[in-house]
Amino acid sequence: MKKNIISREQMEEVHPQIPKAYDQFTQGRISRREFIRMATLLGMSASLAVACGGGEEPAAEPAAAPDTGGEEAAAPTGGIKRGGTWTGSMNLQLLDHPARLSWVEGANIVRQIGEYLTETGPDNITRPYLLEKWEASADVKTWDLFLRKGIKFNNGDELTADDVLFTFGEWLNPDVGSSMLGLLSYLKGMESVEKVDDYHIRLHLETANIGVPEHLFHYPAIVLHRDFEGDIIKQPVGTGAFTLEEYAEGERAVFKRREDYWRMGEDGKPLPYLDELIYVSTDKDAGVAALQSGQVDTLYDPRPSDFQALKDVPGLVVRPVSTAQCLVLRMRVDLEPWDDNRVRTALKMCQDRPKILQLAYFGEGDLSIDAHMAPVHPAYCEKDIPKYDPEGAKALLEEYAAEKGIELPLKVTLATKNDQAEPEIAQALKEQAAAGGFDISLDITDPAGYWDRWTEVDLGITSWTHRPLATMVLPLAYIEEAIGAWNETRWFDDEFTTLLREAEATLDVEARRAIMCKLEDIMQERGPIGNAFWKSIWNITHERFQNVKAHPTAYDLLYDVWIDE
Amino acid sequence: MAIAQPTAGVRPSRWQQMWKSVAIIFESRVATVGLAMVLFWLLIGFISLVWTPHEPNASDFIQNLPPNGTNWLGTDHLGRDITSRLMQGTQVILLKTRLPGDSEISIPGGVAIWGVIGSLVLGVTLGLNAGYRGGWWDQIIMQILDALIAFPRIVLYLVVIAALGQGDMVVILAITITGAPGVARLARSLAMDIKTRDYIRAAETRGESVRYIMFREILPNARGPLLVDAMLRVGYAIFAIGTLGFLGIGLPPPDPDWGNMVNEARRNIFSNQTAVIWPSLAIATLVIGLNLFADGLREELTRYQK
Repeated sequence: MKKNIISREQMEEVHPQIPKAYDQFTQGRISRREFIRMATLLGMSASLAVACGGGEEPAAEPAAAPDTGGEEAAAPTGGIKRGGTWTGSMNLQLLDHPARLSWVEGANIVRQIGEYLTETGPDNITRPYLLEKWEASADVKTWDLFLRKGIKFNNGDELTADDVLFTFGEWLNPDVGSSMLGLLSYLKGMESVEKVDDYHIRLHLETANIGVPEHLFHYPAIVLHRDFEGDIIKQPVGTGAFTLEEYAEGERAVFKRREDYWRMGEDGKPLPYLDELIYVSTDKDAGVAALQSGQVDTLYDPRPSDFQALKDVPGLVVRPVSTAQCLVLRMRVDLEPWDDNRVRTALKMCQDRPKILQLAYFGEGDLSIDAHMAPVHPAYCEKDIPKYDPEGAKALLEEYAAEKGIELPLKVTLATKNDQAEPEIAQALKEQAAAGGFDISLDITDPAGYWDRWTEVDLGITSWTHRPLATMVLPLAYIEEAIGAWNETRWFDDEFTTLLREAEATLDVEARRAIMCKLEDIMQERGPIGNAFWKSIWNITHERFQNVKAHPTAYDLLYDVWIDE
Repeated sequence: MAIAQPTAGVRPSRWQQMWKSVAIIFESRVATVGLAMVLFWLLIGFISLVWTPHEPNASDFIQNLPPNGTNWLGTDHLGRDITSRLMQGTQVILLKTRLPGDSEISIPGGVAIWGVIGSLVLGVTLGLNAGYRGGWWDQIIMQILDALIAFPRIVLYLVVIAALGQGDMVVILAITITGAPGVARLARSLAMDIKTRDYIRAAETRGESVRYIMFREILPNARGPLLVDAMLRVGYAIFAIGTLGFLGIGLPPPDPDWGNMVNEARRNIFSNQTAVIWPSLAIATLVIGLNLFADGLREELTRYQK
């Protein structure tokens, strides 16, 4: 490990918690990734945090990025080449207000012309982006956001705190209907957002929350121009590296490179390296065929079957990435028989996790415990993967059945949608749970049919997307306040909620991990979900494209991609 | 001069009469080929009731295997034996219908068969009433049926299944509702023709009830064309089950039906092409067999009438 380049005093000047985290890192109690994340969270620049973390890369951890833009990636080898066109296959939806985005596809369009205050990279570390840095108070209730100077929108106006305040105003305006409103529930309207000067914004949180930087990279959180009127297609103004030339819903989108973008490339000239981006709207099957035949260069968020079809195609490079995306087996704890923890536990025990992962995802993912915390989450507490135990499950069910005076097998209906790998998980579980005393009927509908009732079914499989922090997802689905919204199981637990609130306000990684250990135990012991695996996702792109990054939320990060024919 | 004497008093036995009726099929080469194809799948279905090479729903093998010595038609995306699933898929179409509810009880006759029987019962009842009674009966019944016919068939399926959920009985109901208007039109036209015959006049003069005349006088004389039409409709019903399965709104998994098998295999078509081909081929051969059988039968019946 290289010698530290700044002193403890300098670290302490940035934030008093950083030296402590540094000690934990040097003692091997937290990983390098966790140290970098925590140091950047507390306001240290990413480049300094990387330098403090030492130059030697632990094998399992990707390199962190320079400070100038955020995303991590190994520096491109060889000479950068400019020019060329990138063509992607992706469903192009109706777009209007970026704050109202509900799908990543739309965000991938908007992120080419607009940008975020922060960026959570493929390594799940969040760094400043349009921000130069942020600073959090010791109680994590006051956040100072410092904007970079000299950033210009594509209409020539400079980015200032007024634009950021306008954007916060849109997020916090219930009439706009942004999902940011719920995410930023710790802000009491615009009175919690203070403009200190033209490049300095201060957030006053009602309750402590360590997730502010990650929230600012939630996909609808594009920073808008202060004169934005509500339709990004009619008014494609942003600070991004491309300009929108054409957008036809369901057909295609065309972007051209901007000459005066603020970030510089390796060759000292403004990014991006590519001249043009074209998205072609196709369904997934047509996209696979187009990629195989070379008509497009990449395919948005390939399904496991697409991965199988494309992984051995010459000329394509597959980049896998672990995620916190999962397909949760969720049980309504306010309804029989799931109100009895023995039944819930029995069904969890009936998951043959390696087999489910193999059948549903061709083994491409990470096995999981029955909790909604993923190994990619900072402060994840390592636990043993539960074994398939149909005998144990049957013993629990027999006890339950004797008490209720019913006969086994216990007949239940499992609802889900025929979308990603849900039918495969459902069919595998039906077979595996038969040995445990369950007789599962399957109710598999099209995605819209399931989303209409996803919070209402007794037993279901629901897909949950990646979130960089466990503390971002747990309050959405496992607290009392979320009943009626996204708490699809109606499960809440006083001890769990108290610990969760504690975790949300705990900066120290080790201390937070200790809390996470307890939270994971509670979810496993009496929680409402089974979770066999965390999905891997893949970026599959033609080999001539260099510096391509696979992001766990399938974001297209294309500003520093270049072509080497 | 010797004159051939009629063999008065020597009636053919019941078996001889039955064979005479069946033998008409073998007069037509087309009908014979069609019958052979249908019997092949019936035989496969009956065999599957007692034996399949492997457990159809068990994921016992490597996924997406091509045809091999163990799995004659390969395996699907969940590592299940396609041969066994294809064999069991015949049952739900031709041989048995699962009753709704928690019971495991099935009734003889597949979903396609019961769907066509439902269409026949409903369509014939409405068609005979419209054709024989005429007047307002005819107007009202045919207006309603015309409105149903004007609806796109897939939309009708979707409406029925969205309202009632999945299951064998719901698919039967969907096939019944979509098939009945066509049967009713045919039954009406036959009834309008037959009601002008003298024996109907005679029945009316005898004071027989309307129901008696419709079902005891007209229906037996209309059964030939109706039966041929029903054969064709079994083919349509199999297509309907296949279509519903392909849309993911057919019979609930994991028990196989051919449409669902096509739908599931389609998702992996780029890595396992053969898994799509086998159930598609099964649907095609059974439907073609039924159509050939019906066409040949119609041809022979028409010739017999002339």
